[in-house]
Amino acid sequence: MSRYGAFQIGGGGVAAVLLLFPIILPEIKIHLAIEILIFALLAVSFNLLLGYGGMLAFGHAAPFGVGAYAAALSCNHLPGMPLLVTLLIAALSGFVGALFIGFFCVRLKGAYFALITLAFQMFLFAAALKWRSVTRGDDGMGVVRPELYLPGLGSISLMNIHNLYYLTLVLVVVGIVACYLFLRTPLGNAVMCMRENDVRASFLGYDVFLTKLTVFSFAGLLAGLAGGLFVLFQEFVATTAIDVNRSFAALLMTVIGGTGHFLGPVLGAIFYTVFQDWISSLTKHWILFVGILFVIVVMYLEGGLISLLKWERIRVWVSGQKE
Amino acid sequence: MFINFVLSAFGAMEEENVCSIYANQVDLGVEKDDVGVRGDRGRRFWMDISINIYLIQLVHGLVYGMLIFLVASGLTLVFGMMGVLNIAHAAFYMLGAYFAYTVAVYLGNFWLSFLLSPLIVAFLAILIERFLLRKTYKAGHLPELLLTFGFFYIFVELVIIIWGSNPLPVPVPALLAGDVPFMGKTYPIYRLFILGFSCVILLGMALVLMRTQIGIIIRAAVSDADMVDVLGHNVPVVFLGVFGGGAALAALAGVIAAPFLSTYPGMGMDMLLDCFVVIVIGGLGSLWGALVAALMIGALQSLGILWIPQLALVFQFLLMAVVLIARPTGLFGEKE
Repeated sequence: MSRYGAFQIGGGGVAAVLLLFPIILPEIKIHLAIEILIFALLAVSFNLLLGYGGMLAFGHAAPFGVGAYAAALSCNHLPGMPLLVTLLIAALSGFVGALFIGFFCVRLKGAYFALITLAFQMFLFAAALKWRSVTRGDDGMGVVRPELYLPGLGSISLMNIHNLYYLTLVLVVVGIVACYLFLRTPLGNAVMCMRENDVRASFLGYDVFLTKLTVFSFAGLLAGLAGGLFVLFQEFVATTAIDVNRSFAALLMTVIGGTGHFLGPVLGAIFYTVFQDWISSLTKHWILFVGILFVIVVMYLEGGLISLLKWERIRVWVSGQKE
Repeated sequence: MFINFVLSAFGAMEEENVCSIYANQVDLGVEKDDVGVRGDRGRRFWMDISINIYLIQLVHGLVYGMLIFLVASGLTLVFGMMGVLNIAHAAFYMLGAYFAYTVAVYLGNFWLSFLLSPLIVAFLAILIERFLLRKTYKAGHLPELLLTFGFFYIFVELVIIIWGSNPLPVPVPALLAGDVPFMGKTYPIYRLFILGFSCVILLGMALVLMRTQIGIIIRAAVSDADMVDVLGHNVPVVFLGVFGGGAALAALAGVIAAPFLSTYPGMGMDMLLDCFVVIVIGGLGSLWGALVAALMIGALQSLGILWIPQLALVFQFLLMAVVLIARPTGLFGEKE
């Protein structure tokens, strides 16, 4: 069995499972699956910065939260707005937010970059908390899921969790594929080149500032979309969408999954969400176990969980013979 | 979150042992109303009082600034030497405060925690550095940061498991309880003690770093660790010492903060964010930068809340963004 053939079979299997999920799983698990999908998109966009751009951002909740609030506000204040336009607004707000933040941040490197993105995220958090007339602060805003209107199919109610699952699935897959294609463009290569050595990249004629700003705001676009989907899923938005813990959760998922592979963050999001769901049903101190897991991954599993799934290991496992 | 201090400053003007979490900005209104009621004696009196409020707030700011500096100094030295942004450092501060609580309540002697708490925490820090953190140096800066990040999570959750998530008030030692008259108001003695004590620590630290052989080695290692290594000094051991010493200082800050801010599981995160801001504004690796920035942040937070209470959450971040945009390596930073 060739490597390519295995990928085809594996990809087909994953697609079938994703499509069949709503049929084989109870409703409560579909909620979990939607959450996983949304966080997978967030983690993939985070890895665009961390894994491919070499930019450790502590404030990735900023575009996520901006997208979430934009979606909630346009749902509440613009009745009759088509759902997909609402999500587009969420994504674009994430993009604009990241563009603005990135304009000040991407010149900086390492710890400085990490901390100033955190600072901007704290501004937005404070705005969400204090600007009560718009965001209702701590109380948060309820959102009614609008109906999805598709030409040829009529309007589809999203109160049916299956429909919401498929909508989320489609948009998340579109987002992740867009991210994958972005990395295959010359621009995507330039991003990786800057991760390795940005002085050399600028000597080669690349505009480091512009390239980093582009990837930063593209990651913001995807995070904004994830934020919009999150609001649609929760039917609620509050300051938890934009607080420090959200940024750190994106970081945890990405690192646990593995930054070295495109699908690492997806695996991390699946693992983190399921692990959290499982262990928080056993103990309320689940953070402790997440922390221990994190230490173990950093110490003993440098490539993250995805490195357990290396092709060589799978082949040995499947065929039962060593090299 | 980290606003607790700023908010508590107001509560504390009213009464000493108010718990920081429950204090809120309404107290500002109370303070002003209070002034307004007394203001019927005449406009001049009102102005005196309001100037006094600013002065008292400034002293509050200095007290908190020195506290941040005690924690941030270890953080910035560790970063300067090894490039490790030690997120768990704020957890050491929190552990220091909780050990102080335990010692004060179970052994009945708050002063004992000045000795015990830093020792235990330094031991813990040295174990972490020697057996875990040291193994990640070869893999670049990211794993180090992530490892300390994991430890931060673990410590916060352990604190919640052991001590619970409610704030635990630590009684002010009898020797330092009470108030002194200050600017027409009374001011708690304990805060003045914090100010004095941290100045003594600062002096001691300055003496060690500027006047002793080991201080010279540390400063040299901050500016170029490889060169110091080549010159024959044992940099890993020096670093271990700085790591442990920094943790002990953070724990000491926790001990003296415990009766002042009370102990609560969020105190680590509050301090972490403030420390980040301080070391970035001061320039990573710069001790004097950290001192200047810590005092700036303390004063800014406590005075800023009088001007624009809505922005109290973000004053330090505002300052940090302005400084970083104008001077990307901080006020006193030299290298990238």
